[in-house]
This record gives sequence, structure tokens and C-alpha cells, in this order.
Amino acid sequence: MLDELEAFYRANLAELRRVATAITGDRELGCDAVQEAFARAVRKRRSFRGTGTLEAWVWRIVVNAARDARRRRPAVADLADPPTNGHSPVIPLDLLTERQQEMVFLHYYADLDYAAIAEALAISPGTVGATLNAARRTLRAALEEVSS
Amino acid sequence: MNELEALSEYIPLRAETPEWEDVMRRARLRRSPRLLVAAVVAIVVFGGAPALAVVLLHGGKPGLPGGADRSNVAIMLEPRTGRVLLEVAPWKGHDGFCYFAYIARSGCVPRSHQTLVTAPPVFGWTFDARVASATATTFGGKHVQLLVRRFRGRINATFFFDARRYALLRYIALRDSDGHVIVRLRK
Repeated sequence: MLDELEAFYRANLAELRRVATAITGDRELGCDAVQEAFARAVRKRRSFRGTGTLEAWVWRIVVNAARDARRRRPAVADLADPPTNGHSPVIPLDLLTERQQEMVFLHYYADLDYAAIAEALAISPGTVGATLNAARRTLRAALEEVSS
Repeated sequence: MNELEALSEYIPLRAETPEWEDVMRRARLRRSPRLLVAAVVAIVVFGGAPALAVVLLHGGKPGLPGGADRSNVAIMLEPRTGRVLLEVAPWKGHDGFCYFAYIARSGCVPRSHQTLVTAPPVFGWTFDARVASATATTFGGKHVQLLVRRFRGRINATFFFDARRYALLRYIALRDSDGHVIVRLRK
């Protein structure tokens, strides 16, 4: 089990950190959440009953760790103008609920299908489909509005 | 721009370096009964208003991340008990520092314009050399003087710390040597 966890970590680290960074809104916190999530998974590996996939079980722990990190997110103040390359990406995530955002991140960044997202978030695949479609529509409409 | 392109730009995919040893270290850290006892003791000990001493040590101490330059570790001590509140060291190969604070919070930080605070415990840092003192204000209106230390040399940053727990912390004010507020941080 430990070997499987390590193999999953090494094979999916880029996706794991990308999703956790997106949820926390901070690269450092996201990376820390992944480390903390896998430490939890290592400690609790005997509680994995094998009723679902190991992948979904781990993703659930990672999402929970990222949510915890987001709640504890420290206050940050810029004391001077931050460096900028003159470009800031436009992504109106504020229009989505936190649950919608998590599904979007898991789908686009981790390439999880509806069933895997449903397992990771402990909801039904039908709910994932409907929620993701609504999120896509919202994002598409907002982005079209920005470009026009 | 469609949503796929926007998401790709939002968090770009990047090559990552695995840190599995850190995962195992964290897993062992949480499981250790000795650490749990130390945590309880520390919470009790730090409940007062400790004065801090700053000393420089040569040689490593457990808790700092792997990237820390352990040949140049600065620490903040609670002098009555000798317990370590904070360890800081230059970040090897980077312009910044690594830290290990109050039992288990740790990380490495690149030099930037940012000032940061976490709570509880109230702990943070700034790269702004003007900061000379810091106070925390609770929602009850109580002002608490924080412990402030500036580490020079390669660390070149100022740290503030208070191990007491404030459930209703309103803001933290960082001031210059004339008492003028430089920045207010809200949790």
C-alpha cells in the first residue's frame, strides 16, 4: 500500500499540485497541502477499505487538505508594487461556487472523468455532470463577454 | 479566449520535483507520541508572555525543510525553558529563507515584497527593513505587543511571533521605529 501511494504521488505530482494550488489560490499552500495530504494518506492507509479506487480515495484527501489550507490561508499584504509581466490571465472563477470550482479543477487539471470526480467528492456522477455543465456555461458566457 | 485556455493560463502545468521523504517525515512527525507531549507542554509553556533571546547556532536541528542551509541557523528561544520558538536559515540556492516555527509549521520563502502572517499562533515575516515593532489587536480591543526579531545577513528578514492563541484576532499592525503603521494585516 505504501509503495502504491508513493507511485501515485510520483506519477501524478504535477496534477496534484495544480489542483491543490487552484483550490487554495496559492502555489506554496497548494504544494504544502499535497504533502500534508499524502502524509495523512500514509498514516491512514489501513483505513482504505478498497470499496472504491485508491486514486479517488487519495484525491478526496488532497481536496480536503486543500480546503483546510484555504480556510487557514494567511493574510498577505504587498508593501510595494508586485512585479508584473504586463499580463494577467482572465478567469472569472468568482462566478462559480466552491464546489463547481473543485469539479472544474479536478476535471481540467487532473483529467478525472465524472465517475472519478464523483468518487473523490462523494457525490453522484449525475450531479457532477450537471454541475460541470453549469460551470462551463457560466465560464464560457463570462469569457465571451470579456472578449467582446 | 475559451475556458480551457483561461484555465491553462490560470495555473500552468509545470515540471515538479517529488519530495516523498518530506511526506514520510510529516507522517512520522504527527504519529510520534513524544512530539504530541512536546506540543502539549509547549502550549502550556507559551501561554505566558515569554521574552525572547536570539542566538546563532552552527549545526542542524530537526524540523527545518531540506532546502535550509543548516550551517547558518538562527533561532528564537524562550529563555526560561530554552525551548525553540522559531528556527530560520538561508535557503540553499535561492534568495530567501527556510523556517521551522512552533512545533510543525515550516517552509521555504523566496524574497519578495510580501508580508505574511498566520494565526494561531501569531507568526509572520516581512522583508521590509523599516518594521521595528508589531501589535495584534483583538476584536475585544485588546492590543498585544508581538515579539519582533530581525535577522540580517543572508536571511535579511524580520519575524514577529506570539505563541498565545487569540480566537478573535482583528488585525496586526507593523510599525516603523517612529511608531508609524507601515501595514495592517487582517486574518
